[in-house]
Amino acid sequence: MRVKRTIRVYLSLAILLLLNFSCKKDCDEVQPAFSKAVLLENVADNIILPALNDFESTLSSLESSFFTLQTDPNQESLNAVRANWKASYMQWQMVKIFDFGPIRTNGFKGAVGTYPTDTVRVNSNIINGGYNLSTADNADAIGFSALDFLLYRNDALIDFISNEEYFQYTLDVIQKMKNEFALVKSQWSTYNSTFIAGTGTESTSSFSLLVNEFNRDYELAKNGKLGIPIGAGTLGIQLPEYIEARNSGISLELLQESMRALRIVYMGNNSGSGLGFYDYLVDLEKSSLASTIDANFNQIINTVETFNGSLESEMGSNVSGLNELYNLVQSQVVNIKTDMTSSFGVLITYQDNDGD
Amino acid sequence: MTEIKLSKYLSLFKEVSIAPLIIFRIIFGVLMFLGTIRFISKGWIEQLYIDPDYYFGYLGFEWIKPLEGQLMYLPFLLLLISPLFILLGFLYRASSITFFICFTYIELLDKSNYLNHYYFVSLIALIMIFLPAHRNFSIDTKIWPKIKTVSTKQWTISLIKLQLAIVYIFAGIAKLNSDWLIHAKPLKIWIQAHHNIPFIGPLMQQEWLAYLFSWTGCCYDLFIVFFLLSNRSRPIAYLFVIVFHLLTWYLFPIGVFPWVMIFSTLIFFSPKFHERILNLLSRSNWKKNVIENIKLSHTRKKIIISLLTLYIAIQIIIPFRHVLYPGNLFWNEEGFRFSWRVMIMHKVGLATFYMVDPKTGRESEINNSKFLTRTQEGQMATQPDMILQYAQILKNYHHGKTFHYGNQKFLIENPEIRAKIYVSVNGRPSQLFVDKKHDLTKLEYNLSHRTWLEPFNK
Repeated sequence: MRVKRTIRVYLSLAILLLLNFSCKKDCDEVQPAFSKAVLLENVADNIILPALNDFESTLSSLESSFFTLQTDPNQESLNAVRANWKASYMQWQMVKIFDFGPIRTNGFKGAVGTYPTDTVRVNSNIINGGYNLSTADNADAIGFSALDFLLYRNDALIDFISNEEYFQYTLDVIQKMKNEFALVKSQWSTYNSTFIAGTGTESTSSFSLLVNEFNRDYELAKNGKLGIPIGAGTLGIQLPEYIEARNSGISLELLQESMRALRIVYMGNNSGSGLGFYDYLVDLEKSSLASTIDANFNQIINTVETFNGSLESEMGSNVSGLNELYNLVQSQVVNIKTDMTSSFGVLITYQDNDGD
Repeated sequence: MTEIKLSKYLSLFKEVSIAPLIIFRIIFGVLMFLGTIRFISKGWIEQLYIDPDYYFGYLGFEWIKPLEGQLMYLPFLLLLISPLFILLGFLYRASSITFFICFTYIELLDKSNYLNHYYFVSLIALIMIFLPAHRNFSIDTKIWPKIKTVSTKQWTISLIKLQLAIVYIFAGIAKLNSDWLIHAKPLKIWIQAHHNIPFIGPLMQQEWLAYLFSWTGCCYDLFIVFFLLSNRSRPIAYLFVIVFHLLTWYLFPIGVFPWVMIFSTLIFFSPKFHERILNLLSRSNWKKNVIENIKLSHTRKKIIISLLTLYIAIQIIIPFRHVLYPGNLFWNEEGFRFSWRVMIMHKVGLATFYMVDPKTGRESEINNSKFLTRTQEGQMATQPDMILQYAQILKNYHHGKTFHYGNQKFLIENPEIRAKIYVSVNGRPSQLFVDKKHDLTKLEYNLSHRTWLEPFNK
């Protein structure tokens, strides 16, 4: 008897609450609710997979143009290699956001994107030979940054023509990237379904990984591409030796491209029609935060556009401009890392949590 | 002699069956053993107590430090063995003291890892030391048959019930705030994140569900104990206990806590219930035994009553200590811990620290990940006492060091540590929490009200 009564009381309470609250929203206008599953599918199919394909093809072009340099060693060929290297490096700004799944398990981000390069190490590898580029010692002597040094030295063309070891080392660096990425990409085709299915809230779910790596990549860009060289962490003393892609002077372009890539992930795609974090925020009734983040990305991208020279030359002539840019980039962190991430209810740590 | 009268009224010294205590001992042993295995297998010893460079000790307990490197496995080894001993009732007193000391030692190392349920375990472990939970159905009674008894004083069981009641009721009181009741926050934030689970996923995005969970959760916490106490409502109440804790276990990453609560709550069941389980376990018949009546001396009773009163008073005062502080509890967190505020706040912060060289006025932005783990950084960014502790860590790190940047040298002495911290509480837009104008090294870490936090705007 008592059991029945309790259940009845409970049910009527539930129905009462149901009637009270269910009509506050969405009653006149039924729209499909937001779904993380759709977001992940969009990011996987329309952002990650195309990015991986493009990156693969830029690496192939880089390699084949390098072979052309071998058969046809002149400035034009070298320029073609440089152009392909740059195209690949720009494409990398998107790929590096997704540091989970096969990219993480293969340590690919570190193998390709570590900077600055250890030029002493590169030179000694070339002179001594017998190097193994996969060892931890050589982590600073490979990847895009090593190629920035190898391709843009003043004597680069002469060395490619006359120094067989120099040529071979450069080829080894390029092929290591290409081969390792081939592995990453083939593994990604199986990982893709795992990624799309990971809609949970635990810190290991792909949605959490995507949010966390998005934040991490943003902060890495903020610090590595800008903060460290301009001296934000060193009492304002500039560290030009920490500039990314210092020899080619494309560091600001890379920063801009990195911000563009992050914005694309945030919006769900370039035009904003696919589901991204932006749409999730709108669904959570945080439209103003959603637009602020987008506007800030655009402002950062446009501000970088106003710099004419390389980061190194701007560090000499336009310190205040760079500081302003840095503050702008810095001001976005709280929006994405605190406000956005906390709205999603995503966890950043692996420990138990009782919400305090 | 009023306390003796009161004790008579509460039947504190009435002889009752020891069976509930025995079952509780066994459950506690099993759960703590499994809990330790889980902790070890997740690699948390390394992550939490070996890898970090710095630790956030509790005020007055900062002298408690982790053991060197791999030695840190030692207390966990004891946390693996002692629950087995407790479960078997083997060297019970020594085992329960060992368990309490090791567990509490680990919890005191770093407040970044504070969880209410760890505090609960520490308290129960402390209580267990004083209970005669080994005086039947144990190896100890095989070694020392004299200690064997079928009865215990009522207070030994009531104390556990009371401890559980405190947890529940204070957890309920903590929910009596406008965020929880009027805005259904933070549950609204947490529940919607589950919108892709099978079948009931879309329900998770419904606003009314967040309200339903908030209100029923609050009522559950406030009143469940009373329904557990009554013989008539107990079975249905226990069903609620199971459903409630399974739901929280499914939705939230709260570890072993739901299991601890589900099984601990069995203590509310009648002695008969526990005797039946013991009969099943031993295939003997408990009922044959008679309740003995051992008279306690007056002084002994008085000591027990005083200690009980003291313990209970502390347990009731501590969760209410926040009323001594002005300002918003969620924002200032003055009197927040040790108060059973379980799953009631979603607080996230971003803390950017600066080291300022007073000689040149130049400043460096600090890379927090160089000093803290992700958990530590996350906890520190929202908790004022940890912010001050971190400022000291940064000061001590930089003080007296010479830094070579480019071709310049800087000898840093007594650096200022400043911070710009933004915090979001329960899904509100983030607000300035700590302004850069304060040199945090000059602020004292104590229990007095902190005036250097920015005001909270609702």
